Amino acid sequence: MNTVLATMVALTVLSAAGCMPVVAAIGLRWFAVPLVPLAGAVLAGLAASASLSFGGGLLNWFVGLAMVAAGAVFALWVMHPERGPWPSSSSSDVPGRGRHRLTGAVGFVVVLVSCAWSLRGLRSPTVGFDARALWVMRPGWFLQSHAQLLIDMKARDLQLTQSAYPPLVSAVAAIAWKITGIHTARLGVVLVAVLNACALAAAALALVEVGRGVSARLVRRSCGQVGPSKPPWAPMVAGVVAAVLLVFVAAGATEPFFTNGYADPIWSLAAVGAVAYGLQVQADRSTRSAAALLILVAGLSKNEGFVTATALVVLIAARSIGVSGLRAGWRRWVSPVILAACELAVLAWWPVLMKAIGARGATSSFSTSGDLASRATATMHGMSPYLHVLVVAAPVAMVGGLLLSSVRRRGGIGNDLWAWLALVAGLTAVGGALVTGSGAIEPWIRSTVHRITEYPLLEGWWILAVWGVVASAGLGAGLGAGSVPPDDDAITRGARAVAPDGLIEVGTADAVAAGAVR
Amino acid sequence: MTPVGTPEGTHRPHPVKTALVTAGSCLVVVVALAALTGQAARGYSTVSQQMDSHAVHDAQVDDAFYRCIDVQAHSLVATDQSVRLSTENLADVVTMIKGFGSWVNVADPSSQAQVVLTLRNDASGPDACLGTRVVATSVGPDGRTSVRLGTGDHVDGQGPPPAPPL
Repeated sequence: MNTVLATMVALTVLSAAGCMPVVAAIGLRWFAVPLVPLAGAVLAGLAASASLSFGGGLLNWFVGLAMVAAGAVFALWVMHPERGPWPSSSSSDVPGRGRHRLTGAVGFVVVLVSCAWSLRGLRSPTVGFDARALWVMRPGWFLQSHAQLLIDMKARDLQLTQSAYPPLVSAVAAIAWKITGIHTARLGVVLVAVLNACALAAAALALVEVGRGVSARLVRRSCGQVGPSKPPWAPMVAGVVAAVLLVFVAAGATEPFFTNGYADPIWSLAAVGAVAYGLQVQADRSTRSAAALLILVAGLSKNEGFVTATALVVLIAARSIGVSGLRAGWRRWVSPVILAACELAVLAWWPVLMKAIGARGATSSFSTSGDLASRATATMHGMSPYLHVLVVAAPVAMVGGLLLSSVRRRGGIGNDLWAWLALVAGLTAVGGALVTGSGAIEPWIRSTVHRITEYPLLEGWWILAVWGVVASAGLGAGLGAGSVPPDDDAITRGARAVAPDGLIEVGTADAVAAGAVR
Repeated sequence: MTPVGTPEGTHRPHPVKTALVTAGSCLVVVVALAALTGQAARGYSTVSQQMDSHAVHDAQVDDAFYRCIDVQAHSLVATDQSVRLSTENLADVVTMIKGFGSWVNVADPSSQAQVVLTLRNDASGPDACLGTRVVATSVGPDGRTSVRLGTGDHVDGQGPPPAPPL
């Protein structure tokens, strides 16, 4: 079996494990497709934590967790058939639904092709330094006996302190090694690269969703005439174009690590996706589930990802509750709090385990307070050349906030400040580690800054891309012939309002969005 | 905002505000599109550079080197033997971990290791991996120390292998 075939087999196994939970939580949506193997990767990461915690083989735990998840979904569908993914008959004749479906399909295909094309760097058989030293070396440990695994994680002679990093990437490679019998770094690198592409596709497809959602909710009012209509093309086309551009931007920004086995791209891309679905795209069960899954991917991949994911859990819960939720009583905020607590518990499992077993690298040393100022200055100077996008994104966000916030709000897109808060959280996580760490700051920055700034960099590009999509809707508000609100079931149920600038707000586009794939 | 369906709902948009929204939208669309397109082109070029013949050659040499020392370690250590990786040289520890750290059984405590593995970096000859050979030191039942050199693969030239990007 060659590497390509082995990768396909491994990807199939991961997808088989992740399929049922994703379909149950997200439904048949285009952005669910790249999340399926990522859900399998999360199960692999949890299997590694379970294997180290309780003993037992990694593959046994992986299969067991996948079967439990599938069984739970099956039981849910039997007891609550209305929660199943099968199409409902009520949404078959929604005007404008064809455009949404077409945009969703076209967006999915072009994003998929762009992501696949961005993997052409795999033609070079590069295995990154850290990848060979840790990420695709540690899978062998996960396949050893429990007693030996404990020794590997604890023995001080090995000196590899990074082995306490979260398990997802190595666990995925270990599953691939075990089921294919091919124990090569190359297989691990290729599989991780494909998962990177999945995370990138998920983040990019969120832009397609933004365009479709804005289009469904914002319709131009023309000459006071309101009646049946179809959603405008501009935001949908802008969403697809922005998604494709984001793929190429992100692939370039994360290379060579995108295709050489490092864990930085997967956590960075997953975190961007989590911000997209959790804090920006119109909130519904599907997007909340997508955000939760991507948070787990980010948090189980690397320490910086863990810190950022923890911050994102808090931000998403805060957005879900909102000020009105706090006033509305416990029924409104109890669900987001429980979900956040469950996510935090899952995320914390590995780091707590590392502390509990006394793993090498589980303890941190901090610099003295006298060094903090100079380390902060060095960190700022080291990072700034890699965050050039902020020079463009910040003024665009200010212009957008001043002139287009009403368009954005009525398009159902979350406040831009949420994305900036998420960006600051990620930047603080990485910058804080550099400032408070005890390693020599200059060489540390020189050797890592390119990849540890991937998340804030990509988040900046995401913010810019969303404003581009929102602005395309604002453009339609003042130019060209108008159209009138889509007349689907959900919209007619929802409140409608006309803004002074002629844009009409409709209550919800859930029905259109939910029926997008069906 | 004004509810649709009421008399107020049919009023015309404010021309100044509409013009501002349109101008702002134009500006944001142009800037965002230009920035994204420019960076996408740059990103495309960056990805293409990964396939540069020089990069491919370096990756192949790097891969061959670590495969070579892996094969040599396999020639010296059985999978059920406990091992200590010599810590005299930190760079060598890292090289050994990268080469065969995934499958050797590290001993704990290290003093109970059946085999001590180290690297000899000034090696030459047909069994060297870019000038490096894996060396196994063990003490037999009779108390005599034996030193063996790894075999089974070689890579011509002198190391270290080209450094991949950090």
